[in-house]
Amino acid sequence: MAVPALAQTVTVPGQSTTATYMDYMKTVYARAAGSDMIQIGLTAFDKDFNLTPIAAESWSQSADGLTWTFKIRPELNWSDGEPLTAEDFVFALQHAATTGYDFAWYWSFAGGIKNWDDVTAGKADVSTLGLKAVDDKTLEVTTTAPKPYLPSVVSLWYPVPKHQFDKFGEEWSTNVETIVSSGPWVVKEWVKSNNTVTLAKNPDYKGPWTPEIDEVVLDSSLGLPEVGVPAFLAGDVDMTSLNTGQVAMMRQRYADQIHTNPVFSTNYISFDLDKAPFDNVDVRKALYYAINRDELTSTVLKDIAIPAHSILPPGFPGYSENVAKQAVFNPEKAKELLAKAGYPDGKGFPDIEIWFREEGGYNGAILPPMAQYLQSQFKQILGITMNIKVMPGKDWMEGMLARKNNIYLAPYEYDYLDPSNFYGLFYNGGRHSYHIAAYDDLVKQADSAPTWDERVKLYEQAEQVMIDQGLIVPLTHPITMNVVSEKLGGDAMTPNKQGFYPNWSGYVYTHLTKN
Amino acid sequence: MIVYLIKRLLSVAVTFFIVSLVIFLMMHAVPGGPFTEKDMPLSEAVKAQLNARLGLDQPLWVQYTNYMVGVLQGNWGVPYQSPGETVISLLQQAWIPSLILGGSGVIIGAALGILIGMAAALRRNSWIDYLASTLSVLGLTIPVFVISMLLILIFAVWLNWLPASGWGKPERWILPIAAYAAIPLATYARYTRSAMLDTLNRPFVTALRAKGLSERRIIFQHVLRNSAIPMVTVFLPMFMGTATGSIFVEAMFRIPGLGSYFVSSIENRDYPLEMALVLMFTIGICFAYLISDIAYAWLNPRIRLGDDAK
Repeated sequence: MAVPALAQTVTVPGQSTTATYMDYMKTVYARAAGSDMIQIGLTAFDKDFNLTPIAAESWSQSADGLTWTFKIRPELNWSDGEPLTAEDFVFALQHAATTGYDFAWYWSFAGGIKNWDDVTAGKADVSTLGLKAVDDKTLEVTTTAPKPYLPSVVSLWYPVPKHQFDKFGEEWSTNVETIVSSGPWVVKEWVKSNNTVTLAKNPDYKGPWTPEIDEVVLDSSLGLPEVGVPAFLAGDVDMTSLNTGQVAMMRQRYADQIHTNPVFSTNYISFDLDKAPFDNVDVRKALYYAINRDELTSTVLKDIAIPAHSILPPGFPGYSENVAKQAVFNPEKAKELLAKAGYPDGKGFPDIEIWFREEGGYNGAILPPMAQYLQSQFKQILGITMNIKVMPGKDWMEGMLARKNNIYLAPYEYDYLDPSNFYGLFYNGGRHSYHIAAYDDLVKQADSAPTWDERVKLYEQAEQVMIDQGLIVPLTHPITMNVVSEKLGGDAMTPNKQGFYPNWSGYVYTHLTKN
Repeated sequence: MIVYLIKRLLSVAVTFFIVSLVIFLMMHAVPGGPFTEKDMPLSEAVKAQLNARLGLDQPLWVQYTNYMVGVLQGNWGVPYQSPGETVISLLQQAWIPSLILGGSGVIIGAALGILIGMAAALRRNSWIDYLASTLSVLGLTIPVFVISMLLILIFAVWLNWLPASGWGKPERWILPIAAYAAIPLATYARYTRSAMLDTLNRPFVTALRAKGLSERRIIFQHVLRNSAIPMVTVFLPMFMGTATGSIFVEAMFRIPGLGSYFVSSIENRDYPLEMALVLMFTIGICFAYLISDIAYAWLNPRIRLGDDAK
């Protein structure tokens, strides 16, 4: 008699704090855990950051660079048996443009989809969007300007099951019974009161990246390392992130099971360029040179971050050594610049208050000690008194948009793997409500330039404008440390070419085994 | 007594409306809204469309009136952070773990606290008295998340007797109940000890002893009853506070209870859930005090309620 194989279940911390919609195209920041695993994106990145065709088997760009044609794999279906069509992809973005609630900027800035802004502003009908289902398996996208990196952008384009939406409306994605999936996982259980989602292998999935394990439990109550580590020690969970205090102890006990993951994220100081004293470029640049980033990351932050010398993290496409080498610690130059601005040794400099937002996750351990370090450095080197204010996320964002303060500590994590993602933050009033014409011009050119080399050169020039004008002070790039059960194996558990382990996302869960 | 009850119920209703109005106004005075995003700003058009869908584009007084009319009809709205269900169904699910764990924690903690307090009062200045004082000082001073952490380390990680955290099987309940019991135990041990000592020194106890009553009858029938008033005062409000869940205990033990919603509803500007939590807590506290007051009269017939008091 054959013994049935034991179901392999992997339990990991989830990162969702709300249980709104399990639909990435409805909300990204407040999505339920698993939203991006149950649906199939057009493309995806593997652990070496190679762009891989997923729902799209191929794509091509028109001669004028404005129109893209994606061919969808003919064998793909929804988990209820309905065929997955180009129409489901078109509907997904129409839905995001009209009732989606937080990612419109992405499809406008990164996607550059024709008429996007007019449709989200309610000035044009949704049918005028640059999207077309040519036939069941052919999808056409038109952009306002050439977007050479569109295939990377569409890695976050997941289909929405129009047939379910027509039947159940918005609420199709709030309920396990009405959720259907197009990807490698189906929802088995969703406990909303602690945002825990159990996903099971989709038996009917025919696309690439098929899971080897049977189930994944994304348990958001394990999100805090303070809870995750005891649960890991007691054998209740297969992986947990670590906070600074836990690293040393866990390294001793589980030396071979500690994985370092890169986070393509940058923490930087941002200013209100119209408010004294930061309306003076020399003041801003004084701060740029007054920070010993190596000391900050190796002592205060105990290696949970690496120094940031540019807005792009090392290893991110487009990262430039020419840019990075300028962000040095030079206290003499910093003092000189401050004196030049009229504040020798900080005399007469008004007290300032840096605002940062409360965060969970990796930045929760980084931002508070970093703010204190900056406070002491600025006092010591420049004679400036800087107070610190921690704020809830919403209040911080609201404060920054309404320009209620003059200096902010801002974190940003990438959304797609192209330099335009980071440079877009400062483009035309993007995140910081300022317009620097020289910068905007260069970024705009870089975004549409036909070759990669040209693009990188233009982005480099754009960042030079940022440095010359002291727009931001790059501080740190977080890295995360996880401890992983020795039972886990597979391709996802071996490091990539740069020596980092892949981040826990769609790739990992489909390239994971458990003994 | 009936008149007294009616008056008290009316005052509960008035309190309910005052609290609802104050919280509603405060909630909307806090900057930001349910859709002010943390990472990237929303376009004005999108925000307007979302606000219109939730009725947040109407003047405040209209929103308040609509909300209260709904509440009086039993419709508490839909939580923004879980749009697939109603506030009531969300609270119904989340209430159970909090009530089971927090409620048992208070009852067990209070019962043990009374026993320890009695033992301490009856054996004054003995080792048991010192132990009781140490326990109650520790219980009141060590933060509950540290107690939780220690319980997990000792019983789940080192001894491996119990699961570290999670909800479901009853063996997972033991550690969080122990954590919840710490404060009631400490509080009750102290209250009982001092109330008992106070009563034991009163002349009527000497009189009872002179009458030749057994020590057991004196303690259980007379001293304990006479010492009970301060204990009753603390019990129900403490029960309300604990049975609605502690954000720390629930986070440490991964309990899908109410506790975290008190914070997340404010953080996410989840107005319907925030209102519901505050209003239900208000009603709970009002009734806790009403029941305590009635219990006083029962425990001590010299206490008269309402007009009878004149």
